[in-house]
Amino acid sequence: MNYRVRHTTRYRYSEQVSQCHSLTHLLPRDTPTQRCIESYIDVQPLPVLGNTRKDYFGNRCYHFTVQWPHVLLEVTAHSRVAVDDYRPGLGLDFGISCAQARTALHQSNDLTTLEAREYMLESPLVRLGAELADYARPSFDDDRPLLSAVRELVERIYRDFSYDPVSTTVSTPVIEVFAHRRGVCQDFAHLAIACLRSLGLPARYVSGYLETLPAPGTQKLVGADASHAWFAVYSPVEGWMDFDPTNNTLAEHQHITTAWGRDYADVTPLKGTVFGGGEGHSVEVEVDVERC
Amino acid sequence: MESSLRTRSSWLAYSEPQISHDEVFLPDGEVRAHWQYLLKSLDSLGPDVINDRERKAWRILRDDGATYNDYAQPMAARSWAIDPIPLLLQSEDWASIESGLQERAELLNLVLKDIYADRQLLRHGIIPPEIIYSHAGFLRPCQGLAIPGEHQLIQYAADMVRAPNGSMRIVADRSQAPSGTGYALENRTVMSRVFPSLFRDSHVHRLSLYFQRLRAKLTELNPGSDIPRIVMLSPGSYNETYFEQAYLANYLGFPLVQGGDLAVRDGYVWMKALDGLRRVDVILRRVDDNYCDPVELKSDSQLGVPGLLEVIRMGRVAVANPLGSSVLENPALLRYMPDIARFFLGREPLLESVATFWCGDPRDREHVLANLGQLVLKPTSRAANIQSVLGAELSQQGLNDWRNKILQQPYLYVAQEYLQPSSLPVWQNSEFQPRSAILRSFAVASGSSYSVMPGGLTRAGLAQGTALISNRLGSVSKDTWVLASEPEKQLTLRSEPEAAVQPQAWDRLGVPSRVVENVFWVGRYAERSESALRLLRTVFVELHGIEPLPPASYPMLLRAVTHLTATYPGFVTNDGALFANPEPELLAVASDRHRTGSIASSLNALLVAADEIKETLSSDMQRIINDIRDQLVQLEKDLTQGMTAAPEAALDPLVTTLLALSGLAQESMMRGVGWHFMEMGRRIERAWQTISQVRSLLVPVVSNRDEEVLLEANLLSAECLNSYRRRYNGQMAIANGLELLLLEPANPRSLLYQLETLEAHIDELPAEAGQQGLPSYSRLVLEASTLLKLSDPLALAAHDGADSVRTNLDLLLARIQQLLADTSLAIADRFFDHGDGPQPLLTESWEGST
Repeated sequence: MNYRVRHTTRYRYSEQVSQCHSLTHLLPRDTPTQRCIESYIDVQPLPVLGNTRKDYFGNRCYHFTVQWPHVLLEVTAHSRVAVDDYRPGLGLDFGISCAQARTALHQSNDLTTLEAREYMLESPLVRLGAELADYARPSFDDDRPLLSAVRELVERIYRDFSYDPVSTTVSTPVIEVFAHRRGVCQDFAHLAIACLRSLGLPARYVSGYLETLPAPGTQKLVGADASHAWFAVYSPVEGWMDFDPTNNTLAEHQHITTAWGRDYADVTPLKGTVFGGGEGHSVEVEVDVERC
Repeated sequence: MESSLRTRSSWLAYSEPQISHDEVFLPDGEVRAHWQYLLKSLDSLGPDVINDRERKAWRILRDDGATYNDYAQPMAARSWAIDPIPLLLQSEDWASIESGLQERAELLNLVLKDIYADRQLLRHGIIPPEIIYSHAGFLRPCQGLAIPGEHQLIQYAADMVRAPNGSMRIVADRSQAPSGTGYALENRTVMSRVFPSLFRDSHVHRLSLYFQRLRAKLTELNPGSDIPRIVMLSPGSYNETYFEQAYLANYLGFPLVQGGDLAVRDGYVWMKALDGLRRVDVILRRVDDNYCDPVELKSDSQLGVPGLLEVIRMGRVAVANPLGSSVLENPALLRYMPDIARFFLGREPLLESVATFWCGDPRDREHVLANLGQLVLKPTSRAANIQSVLGAELSQQGLNDWRNKILQQPYLYVAQEYLQPSSLPVWQNSEFQPRSAILRSFAVASGSSYSVMPGGLTRAGLAQGTALISNRLGSVSKDTWVLASEPEKQLTLRSEPEAAVQPQAWDRLGVPSRVVENVFWVGRYAERSESALRLLRTVFVELHGIEPLPPASYPMLLRAVTHLTATYPGFVTNDGALFANPEPELLAVASDRHRTGSIASSLNALLVAADEIKETLSSDMQRIINDIRDQLVQLEKDLTQGMTAAPEAALDPLVTTLLALSGLAQESMMRGVGWHFMEMGRRIERAWQTISQVRSLLVPVVSNRDEEVLLEANLLSAECLNSYRRRYNGQMAIANGLELLLLEPANPRSLLYQLETLEAHIDELPAEAGQQGLPSYSRLVLEASTLLKLSDPLALAAHDGADSVRTNLDLLLARIQQLLADTSLAIADRFFDHGDGPQPLLTESWEGST
């Protein structure tokens, strides 16, 4: 399936910004099941400099500097992405067991496995915790296939936690999300990652988009879509596999990947430093995902 | 004499028994050969002379303003402490240390390159991935960054102790922004002045070559083709090693800048100089890498330069040491150095590290947990809240805490064998006392290898048996003398050609406008303090005069103090009690540094501004700043104990010192931009104070007797009472007073003199590109001086009778005061940086998530 994605972010400042240095993770990367056909970023006011590069994780990031005084910054990413419809049969119930996976993680000299160990450690927004390990453990019997266990964890998170767009912010720690049992997709992704890492399993954060379909008989509204987040777990045999705890599903052909990292902080869609701008600013985001 | 040195009976021998390998004495008490000459010399000098030299050394350090700041107590800078007995290292011993350090630096350079490129060490299983991945110094945005040339690691330092078998062992590697070279240089300077002949005859290898190499290496890093513009980036005057940064910046001839002095524009790094932006090519950094760019690294850092990393990526600026290099400071790497050496060099390393166990390794962890009480425990990343500890000094609870921490995230901790460091003599209570010592040595990339500073910085524990030595915990430093085996070697070093003389970066970069702004404020605060001191002194004298003051003068003098210092409400009140007992308020105006406007607060502001410009101060100037600091403390002490018999006497030393400061500015400051700004600050302030005084003392019309007293007080405080008496035969008349105080061009304290001098300095300021006609500040001063020159003292003194005011005088002075305030603002607007600081573009709410 081919998708067209438009992602607009508007910053409005209370006072003039004289200069803005920014770093974005808005250009979709290629993955084994996805190719970015075309993508570019529009910035208003016009940046004096803009560079695209691959970051440490292989994501495509775009740096720009705006030197015109402004009170409104508008950044729009336009992309066309081809996502594979067909994926080889995913035998979640037949793969490597949890116990075997743990052993392999510590003993294997396979490069991908060595590199996956980075995703077993704490990261800026994902702290490990005994409570999280305790919560997840019942799904991870030693003999159970790892991916089947993860699938169950995803289901439990979906069941035990409520979606609540006002209860959390970027700085809400995972452990609080865990305590209050509510949050949004980024929180659930971080939560699942924290559970897996607390059990000694590698997991990474994936940011992207999800195609949403309008209710039957209604027209899809412009800008009604949103950016999305989920996670991937690493199995020393099957490799990386994506799961979406917010929707209790594998992340497949309706999921369009933008970037991945240890957590949100590695792949923040837009961050940077401004000079001026006064006290605080407002942000507005619009996303459209459509088939093409 | 010779024989006494070989036995314990010499007064130089330790009075207590040696417990470890000693640098000077063999176990039988005999003096090692390379120490013989020094000990013989010290022996013949005797304890009194050594004490005397030690005091001299401290005096020099104090005069140079050598300090080591403590973050916890920012105003209580600790003086850098030096011990008069150097550490001596013989030539052969040093040669093996030197080659070991060269090899170590080369190895770490390879490790650094590898970590930010394809991580062969990890792929080949030489080091476990967690060592890199879990370290706070592994900065992922730095992947693939490279500065020009073979070397990524530019400066390297190693902390070493001598093991009981006599060999040196590395305890820690320093790769972030190693501090200590400046202190080593200062120690050397002090020692060569305090023991000139001893130093000369000992044939000590020189340090200067190291700095020439450093400068040459930084020059090579230049990404452009022109002569590079190099700056040294400092975290600011509260940093613990700020003295060293200022000292080195001066020695190397680089402007000392802070994050706010630099800006990224058009894809380059620029320094905000007085007359605009100047390109910067190379940055020698003392700011920790994670703080260097809030865009990609620590987002709330105020110490960095937003956008810096992207400019480095574009190859338009080089930073040394490169960002990300602190990953090498992970002590877990010590554990793997032999493996790393075999991998890269195919051989064992020359220098051993102290035995280190990494808890991420299961066998190591087991060993550590079983021996917690005998080991030194450390986190792998330096964190403010967790320090290295000696297991032996921990309580049972403390040990349990460490055990739990280690079990939770084992890869974040290492343990090291506790090595009893060698001892060496420290001069205390007029005798030698043995102390543990640690040596920090430095290497700089040079040619195809590294050049090692001969010697380095030796630090010794304060008390015997101190196990861990650090500047924060308190230690005494020593100069380190590497003895040339023969005097000729010394000559070859000396005759080595000096590095090509380079145009000083100062000329091409100027100074950051922040420095100029602080120079300006040094001028203003110095003058403000002096005026207030003079007036207060005068008021004290008048209050305690033989004759009682006439009725109107008394409150007016007190009010003048409040007006001049702007310590409202003060005496600008009708509170009778305050006038009945004015002393507490007067003392507060003098010595309460928390009261804005008080003399103490102005002096304090002067000291803070002077700290910001430390690298631009001459040594005499620094000495005077030190005196002001001491006298301020003394003043507070004298005056808080209540009014002394003659409180004005307590103010005298400060007046004298401030005069010395302005005298030095006249006599020894280069007539550069800085001098003009200091003078402008001074003139604006003195003009302002002169007006304040005249307005509060001479504008109101009072009785003749009162007017005489007030005029006399005004003249006295403006230091022209004697001139007045000579000139006008002691006839006290307001018009005459105004002539002398305001209009006399030959009186260096007259208002006109201030305005004319100010005009002259303003004429020297760099013009703005495209400037049409006079700049605003020139117009303002011109208007002020013209108004003044056109005025007539008789008309100014005129009034409408008793209980009125001298309206003409007041209107004129009010207008001039306004013009002065506007001038100061116009100068600030044009030359100083008042841009908003950077703030992170943060999104608190999750962006439109599903």
